[in-house]
Amino acid sequence: MTQALQLLIDGVLSGGSYALVALGLSLTFGSLRRLNLAYGATAMLAAYVGAWLHAQYQAPVWLVALAVVASAILTGAYVERLCFASPRVDPTQSRGLPVAGADGQEVVALASSFAIWMQLEQLAVNLLPRHLNTFPSLAAAQDWQLGELSVRPDRLLIGLAAVALTLGLAAWIERSRAGLSWRATAELRIAAHLVGMPVARLQAVGFACACALSGLAAFAVLSLDGQVTPMFGMWMLLKGLVAAMLGGLGSIRGALWGGLVLGVAESFSQELWGAQGRELCTYGLLLMVLVLPWQRLRRGPLNAGFA
Amino acid sequence: MANGLDPHTVGLLSNMSIMALLALSAYLLLLVGRISFGQQAFFGVGAYAAGILSSMFQAPIVLALGVGMAAGALLSWLLALPTMALSGLQYAVATLAVGELARIILSGWHWQVAAPHGWVGPDGIDGFREIRWLLERDVTPAHFLGWIACALLAVLVLLMRTERTRLGVALRMTGQDETLAATQGIDVIRLRLFAAAAAGALAALGGGLYAHRTTYIEPALFDPMLGVHAVGYALLGGLGSALGPLLGVVFDLGLLDATEVFHGWRMVIFGGLVALFLRWRPRGLLDERAVQWFVQLSSNKRS
Repeated sequence: MTQALQLLIDGVLSGGSYALVALGLSLTFGSLRRLNLAYGATAMLAAYVGAWLHAQYQAPVWLVALAVVASAILTGAYVERLCFASPRVDPTQSRGLPVAGADGQEVVALASSFAIWMQLEQLAVNLLPRHLNTFPSLAAAQDWQLGELSVRPDRLLIGLAAVALTLGLAAWIERSRAGLSWRATAELRIAAHLVGMPVARLQAVGFACACALSGLAAFAVLSLDGQVTPMFGMWMLLKGLVAAMLGGLGSIRGALWGGLVLGVAESFSQELWGAQGRELCTYGLLLMVLVLPWQRLRRGPLNAGFA
Repeated sequence: MANGLDPHTVGLLSNMSIMALLALSAYLLLLVGRISFGQQAFFGVGAYAAGILSSMFQAPIVLALGVGMAAGALLSWLLALPTMALSGLQYAVATLAVGELARIILSGWHWQVAAPHGWVGPDGIDGFREIRWLLERDVTPAHFLGWIACALLAVLVLLMRTERTRLGVALRMTGQDETLAATQGIDVIRLRLFAAAAAGALAALGGGLYAHRTTYIEPALFDPMLGVHAVGYALLGGLGSALGPLLGVVFDLGLLDATEVFHGWRMVIFGGLVALFLRWRPRGLLDERAVQWFVQLSSNKRS
């Protein structure tokens, strides 16, 4: 019983990290209706810049955090320019896309963002060629003991931050005027443009916010581990994708629920079937969410929008 | 035939031909308007199936490759059944999940039998060693390159002939506009399922050849980056003709990877180029218009 409780706590806490990772991905999808596959690589490059500063100049933790967020925003601006900014061509004149149909543009953005993913990953590795790079941690991690249960304080802090950030962001998007205009551009670009909203700028700002969040998430996760490897980009993208998909891609609060479900499921499957079982569970969940018909019955995860 | 080549060139050409098969499998799905990031799964399945048959059951290599292709096609078709009806975006994510699932399942698979020189068979994360069919029969790498090239050539001829048939037109039409294709009486889902099965078979053929060439495979080889590269080759090379993916492979492996000039910057250049192409030339270097131009040029010369 205690063991199950401990597993639950661990799962919920790592779910907080997953929610943080999923948040940026979900936000991008919510505002642009595009999936950004360069998401993980962007955060990884930013994290490498932070690790490089730490290794080269012994930068303090707060400076590393700042550098990670700033370089995530900068890299994100590049990604947005190349993959997501609306092309200035007349849609009736287009010569055909690799993938046509209603979602042609979406899939083109998907494909070009994966190309950028390879590029950014290589850039990061060129910056720090070693496989393992130390990353500054937030605080000396001394587990808190509660009877037989133990909790890592920095994990708890990040889990709480994830909850606060998600709920705050969701409330802001629902209540504030800026959030309203953001939702309007996501809902119907043409209509938003006609009532005088700067659609392109709003979307660029939304993308930059999502990238800043990804930088924050990368910093939080890596400071827990104390190291960063070239696998991080892939890890961040896939975990974020699974959590965001579980909660309904594009939904802000959904990212939190998706992250929690993923965290708890992983923690239990790891205990039951080992590391491979955990991975199997992650991707099995993702496939199930996509394939099972109940998702399509209730408006589908991809149509959820901001909620 | 290829006896005059040094081992390095033989290896490069073999790799390029095998990657071309994988790129063609991604191309086939792009043709019907679907992006798959999971073709490496069928590449892996083909590699394992062919390796098992030839090294554990001493089957002839043609049979082993054939069974590998059948396994790849069947698996690809079965997995496409529930996913093909999804939107393009959901399909792409689903294939990513399928690819990773396949890799993880292969990493947990142990099945070995006794052989004259020890145990052979898949050994989980340590991979599958000693696929010695070629060594035992004294087939040199250069000789095997000839076989690979023949397989690639056969596939290319088949694909280019199909382009001119009703089936080829229907495939391309589905990719261009599925609604229009459906109104013309094309069963879009069935056609896409067929394309998925054929793509699975092609990827598995590449995998089977790869397993025999390197004599050693491990699940970690079949990671998403492999599938992503295959799609990249097809998108860069062009969707106008089956020669497009080949062009992409030659450009990346032949130019960027083989010449040391771009060491460490290969992915930066390749990834950047694919993104730029998608922005300004979305159907690749050898798109339909370029193909038409070449066809006209050659017919002008003839007359």
